[in-house]
Amino acid sequence: MTTTLAPAFTDTPLEIGGRVFRSRLLVGTGKYKDNATMVRALEASGAEVVTVAVRRVNLNRTKEEGILHHLDPSRFFLLANTAGCFNAEDAMRYARLAREAGFNEFVKLEVIGDQQTLLPDTAGLLEATRELVRDGFKVMAYTNEDLITALRLQDAGAVAVMPLASPIGSGMGLVNPYHIRVIKSRLSVPVIVDAGVGTASDACLTMEQGVDGILMNTALAEAKDPVAMAHAMRLATEAGRAAFLAGRMPRREIAVPSSPTTGMLA
Amino acid sequence: MTAALPRLHAVTDDRVAALPDLVRKATAMASVAGADLAVHLRTRILGGRAFLERARAIGAALHPYGAWLVINDRADVARAVGAQAVVTGRGGLLPPDVKHVAPQAMVGRSVHDAAECRAEAGADFLIAGPVYPTASHPDTPPAGLDIVRTAAATGRPVIAIGGLTADRASEVLAAGAHGVAAIRALWDAVDPAAAAAAFLDRLPALDLMDIEINGEPRHARRGITIAELLGDLSLDPRTVVVEHNRHIVRRDALGTVRVADGDRFELVHFVGGG
Repeated sequence: MTTTLAPAFTDTPLEIGGRVFRSRLLVGTGKYKDNATMVRALEASGAEVVTVAVRRVNLNRTKEEGILHHLDPSRFFLLANTAGCFNAEDAMRYARLAREAGFNEFVKLEVIGDQQTLLPDTAGLLEATRELVRDGFKVMAYTNEDLITALRLQDAGAVAVMPLASPIGSGMGLVNPYHIRVIKSRLSVPVIVDAGVGTASDACLTMEQGVDGILMNTALAEAKDPVAMAHAMRLATEAGRAAFLAGRMPRREIAVPSSPTTGMLA
Repeated sequence: MTAALPRLHAVTDDRVAALPDLVRKATAMASVAGADLAVHLRTRILGGRAFLERARAIGAALHPYGAWLVINDRADVARAVGAQAVVTGRGGLLPPDVKHVAPQAMVGRSVHDAAECRAEAGADFLIAGPVYPTASHPDTPPAGLDIVRTAAATGRPVIAIGGLTADRASEVLAAGAHGVAAIRALWDAVDPAAAAAAFLDRLPALDLMDIEINGEPRHARRGITIAELLGDLSLDPRTVVVEHNRHIVRRDALGTVRVADGDRFELVHFVGGG
């Protein structure tokens, strides 16, 4: 974990599928108004893992649209997603194409079940996870905040389970902290909350649930100042993680004075 | 892409570029010549926006037939409309400048004598002429078949221009030309499609295969490897992943797997995503 100040706590590094990362913040590269802003935001976020999508080359291009012309693959860990795939077969096809690009065997697996909410098709997700794991992939599965699906994904061999905070791109924040805590408490593989955070407090609150990391894209790309928001998200992710490790005080519904009750003037 | 350079080049001048039925005539020629036709938009009287609009209209008409749009001088317009080639001549932009502005385009260069042929190292093809006396340049003595031979000796494909008719096509091909260019013989014909067909009868057909790339019908040179196909498309094999008839082609096999008629390709790369 990278901090801007000397850390006052010790944390174990984030380990996913045998790879060790210092930053618990993972970021996407989509929807930025230009590539220069995207690169500066990635740097400000301190993220090591950045997600990318697989799309057709535009044969009638007038400029280079590939992200590798802007992103140094030796500086970032490129995590290909299967965004936009609505069935297991398509998702597996995209995953295999992404692996052939030659960076790593990890895939952020999305099998979308509904156009409007972009919620996952959990049956297709499980099918694709099993198949891809058999094929040697390290699958990080984007799922909903359902414990049973999360357990099944772990059983299927996913190296990380990635429940949503709220729907992709919604910015609604963490709508179901209870279920996220339950998932984290029951899984042994890393739990990375993926999608839905809107601002720094959302990221902080999410990390305070004890999850291993958080992945976001739109919260940065659609901020008025993506670079400043990336900085804020980095601090919030670190703050939430530190607060979780510190252990919060108990909640009470009565006041307890902070100052001594003895030694008062008569 | 050089072998896929069309053989028949319908070149415009200021008068032809302003013809109200230019697009109709271009479409008629494309319907018989397909990918063997290149229409050159060349005019000095149209301003930037009018030029762009004309180029876009012709390009849209040619695209369904696989015919090429070639833009003279205006690399910016070529880039904006995705033209397949840019042709420049004496006093025009040099090939590296054109490629900087319009990286998708091949660069052709007009050459008129041996010295110009030697100087055009950066061009992908040469347009050599005037071979015969021509009404376009009444005061210029024709350079004869020698200019075709000299240009062909550079190793680049040569398109012969200047007074060309269908009857003279075989002569310039024998001198080493890859194809022919004409203005009046095509645009002023009562039936431009028939005029194009008459030229094509004298030109050996391009040996092209029909393939599909990313859902679009395309042509590929017969016998090429996938690596060569990527080269023809100006794609960097290090950043593109190839799916060939639903099978992923390993990068180290791109240079050995050959393209066949009817093949379907998906060429993908990484873009921004969450």
